[in-house]
Amino acid sequence: MSRIVVEDVSITKISDLKRGYFRLNIAPFSKAAKVKPGQFVHVQIPGCGVYFRRAFSIYNFNAADGSIEILFKVVGRGTACLAKCRRGDRLGIVGPLGNTFRFPLKKETPVLIAGGVGFPPMYLLAVHMIEKGFEGERIVFLYGGNTKDDLVDISRIRKLGVELILTTMDGSYGQKGLITEPLKRIIDDRCGKVRLYACGPEGMLQAVDTLACDNDVPGQMSLEAPMPCGVGICLGCVRPLREGGYTRVCRDGPVYNFGEVLL
Amino acid sequence: MSIDLSVNIAGVEFKNPILTASGTCGYGEELADLFSLSRLGGIVTKSITVKPRLGHPPPRTAETESGMLNAIGLANVGVDEFIEKKLPFLEKFDTVVVVNVAGAKIQEYVEICTRLADCPRADMVELNFSCPNVEEGMGIATSAVLAERAVAEVKKVFGGPVIAKLSPNVTDIAEIAQACESGGADAVSLINTLVGMAVDIETFRPRLTNNTGGLSGPAIKPVALAMVHKVYQAVKIPIVGIGGIATADDVIEFLLCGAAAIEIGTALFVEPDTPVKIARDLKKYLSKNKFDSVKQLIGQLRIYS
Repeated sequence: MSRIVVEDVSITKISDLKRGYFRLNIAPFSKAAKVKPGQFVHVQIPGCGVYFRRAFSIYNFNAADGSIEILFKVVGRGTACLAKCRRGDRLGIVGPLGNTFRFPLKKETPVLIAGGVGFPPMYLLAVHMIEKGFEGERIVFLYGGNTKDDLVDISRIRKLGVELILTTMDGSYGQKGLITEPLKRIIDDRCGKVRLYACGPEGMLQAVDTLACDNDVPGQMSLEAPMPCGVGICLGCVRPLREGGYTRVCRDGPVYNFGEVLL
Repeated sequence: MSIDLSVNIAGVEFKNPILTASGTCGYGEELADLFSLSRLGGIVTKSITVKPRLGHPPPRTAETESGMLNAIGLANVGVDEFIEKKLPFLEKFDTVVVVNVAGAKIQEYVEICTRLADCPRADMVELNFSCPNVEEGMGIATSAVLAERAVAEVKKVFGGPVIAKLSPNVTDIAEIAQACESGGADAVSLINTLVGMAVDIETFRPRLTNNTGGLSGPAIKPVALAMVHKVYQAVKIPIVGIGGIATADDVIEFLLCGAAAIEIGTALFVEPDTPVKIARDLKKYLSKNKFDSVKQLIGQLRIYS
């Protein structure tokens, strides 16, 4: 039995979340029950002439009906085309791809840091932690964006009952400023007892990586990179490692320990 | 009626004419997560060099119209680790293992092939004379004299069949193919990538840190077909066709032009199970057209006179 499958799936639902964000449900995916937080699917987008597939973090999955959900922002030709798809359209997907996060220890407070489109894997990780017996209120979830338009699906994360801290750069929603400001306070307040998980733009990841390394806080982050193949054979998505050499984000990652990758 | 997909190249039997191209399938481990490598006619490994190479800094790839540019820079584990750690994995599969070899000098090809000569499951070697991303390599690719000498030197040390992989970035590919044949090559494979470039108009930077890269994918298929056709008329040794193959129809085009087998490259990135689908569709085509062997297609192009 193959660990990774190449399948044709149907779009069962597409929701326009406005301001360029879309949520897409696809089924049936035979590996839906095997999905782990942080993993992604490689999607062939029909009818727009882009040659490579596009990688999307898995936002949620339903083992019972074999469906998975992705959340994306329109940033280029591929995503613009995907946003125009309709219910019933067929998509080719390869997955599930990539590694996953290490679970926090019982005594640790997990702090999840989601910046903009880095939200989906952080959401799925929170869901997974709660399913595995972590009380929602013990999870701190930081969700930041440039403006309130970047904070999509807030109601969903609220339902998990996590300690939610929202930030925007322009102050249009939640606390004004960088997401790392409340993060610094949390690290100071609960020294030695937190584990960080981060996904978001490069600048945010650099800041979180530095904070984690400087304060000796354990944790991991999920990286993004343009990926021709997604399965580890093209060597196109590599990032430099601190210890030297390169790592394939698609196959060795996308989840890395803080301090592991040169950002 | 049973359909025979097997082909024979230089005395080596392939269960089907479908190989994976060097640099697009690593050392097989990743693709084995998707399908059994025993379904392949053969696997051509990532280029092996004397010493390990990290490759070029990213970005190493760029998407283009109907294809891609790459300048990976021959990232590989080096011959020692390949023999120790990578080859044993490939030995588990019922498929022909073709080890792709690259070097800056003829002596390096000889050194690697001497090591491989002691490995019973290095069934064949393919000499990468044509990586456009490594400055030194292009000398052999573009010189008939050097190519002939390189093949002849390798033939002295490697007992199995030797395939010379040819660059399209030359004035006359048939001349290089003939030189390789004179040097003792058992087959030629073509084409490697075409030198290309893409530019970011916001930063004024090339899209690859190597500035230029190798163009591959469906965009190059017509060029590859024309070159296979030309070389088929110039040499007697078998040809392995490469260049933009993504479907069984593509494979048939190459076979008709004279290829005895083909390699699938960039298509693996987009559709990693392409070889499985092609084998299935190839059988369908043969059955529909009442052929019982894929060999019946090789070189059957009806050219206009």
